[in-house]
Amino acid sequence: MGPYTITYFGVRGRCGAMRIMMADQGQEWKEILIDFADWTKGDLKASCVFGQLPKFEDGGLVLYQSNAILRHLGRNHDAYGKDGKEAALIDMMCDGVEDLRLKYVKMIYQEYDTGKDQYIKDLPNHLDKFEAVMAKNKTGFLVGNKPSFADYGLFEVLLNHLVLCSSCLDTSPSLKSFVEKMSARPKIKAFLSSDAYKKLPINGNGKQ
Amino acid sequence: MYLNRISMVCALTGRAEVIRVMLKDQGAEFDEKVITMEMWKESTLKASCLFGQLPIFEDGDLTLYQTNAIRRHLARKLGLYGKDQREAALIDMMDEAIQDLLNKYVKLMFEKDDSGKEGYLKALPTDLKPFEKTLSGDKGSFLVGDKVHSLIFSNYHQRRQLAYTVHGGRGKGLGVVLDLDFSCTHALFLSLADLLSRLRPGDPADPPPSPQPPLPACLPLPPELPEEAVCPTQPACLLS
Repeated sequence: MGPYTITYFGVRGRCGAMRIMMADQGQEWKEILIDFADWTKGDLKASCVFGQLPKFEDGGLVLYQSNAILRHLGRNHDAYGKDGKEAALIDMMCDGVEDLRLKYVKMIYQEYDTGKDQYIKDLPNHLDKFEAVMAKNKTGFLVGNKPSFADYGLFEVLLNHLVLCSSCLDTSPSLKSFVEKMSARPKIKAFLSSDAYKKLPINGNGKQ
Repeated sequence: MYLNRISMVCALTGRAEVIRVMLKDQGAEFDEKVITMEMWKESTLKASCLFGQLPIFEDGDLTLYQTNAIRRHLARKLGLYGKDQREAALIDMMDEAIQDLLNKYVKLMFEKDDSGKEGYLKALPTDLKPFEKTLSGDKGSFLVGDKVHSLIFSNYHQRRQLAYTVHGGRGKGLGVVLDLDFSCTHALFLSLADLLSRLRPGDPADPPPSPQPPLPACLPLPPELPEEAVCPTQPACLLS
């Protein structure tokens, strides 16, 4: 496997989770940051299968679609459960995280000024699903006893939500503990303190 | 491979259809419990669902939600996930893109008026092009490798829905002509339409003529298709 390369805009966006995952798995990767003005000129865009970034390279394999990339990394680094049953549950949690991410992204890009307060108010109704699963599993991860790609996805989405509203996990003790433990993992801690992480805004429109 | 008896609780069509097609194509037995909107509103079922949504899918003692997770689970069990890790990654990639298009379609379907349809149809050739390009470039006639994969069913299902919508009661004279370079998508569409008609005898690949009993909002079928739509050489969506 590898070498890994990410080609993406200068934001955390849809690469946030995969970067944290690769860091935690002790992987190095190359970053190619694309200026949005260059993107709109079209050459790179035309070469991307779906006209979108991120683009991910694992040696000669070129992938698009952030969740496909996360799954691929899950397979590469034994972060896809120990058997078919765990894999199915991890898929389910990843899809749930994606649904939450879509709501977040919609609010950030389309409804920030008008919709932010209501979004924060509704948040417990969405978070309580993950809280229930996390509490039930008791291992500190969503499924099984080690981090899966769904855990990295959830962790990253929760980090973004804590920026939006620092008290949003106060009524979700298992999720709060999850975020604290993940943040304390040595390689994740190092990555989150790095310039590479800190210099990038979460979203492309500057809202968070 | 032995597949446990599966029971599925879901609304009539919509996102569960692709699962049914997969199961039937692969000869897997399953029970089905259909929940109507009224039942959903009246019962405590919603509260018992992990994300408050249907379908619920049970495979033995494993309970799953999220149609994409269910499809992946079945793909693993039925050997429909590529021959190796590389193919699996490519299948995931194509599948995510199909889901993007499906979400766009669903959003259009649930809009209060028809104002979004024109823009949707205008963008459709561009949206379909990556699939056409992949299909025409590959050695076989599937999106990845040489076997039918779970995502193909998603693709087919969506094309079928599109065909109904483009052609039907939502507006006459749509005036959209897709680029004729969609011959490969067309071929896949036809081969899967044929497959479906064989799997469900008596349930035609095209919607039945009107009058029809009221259908759930998730899949509005046109009351009547013009004659051209049943022409075997052209799928509805390619007609102007």
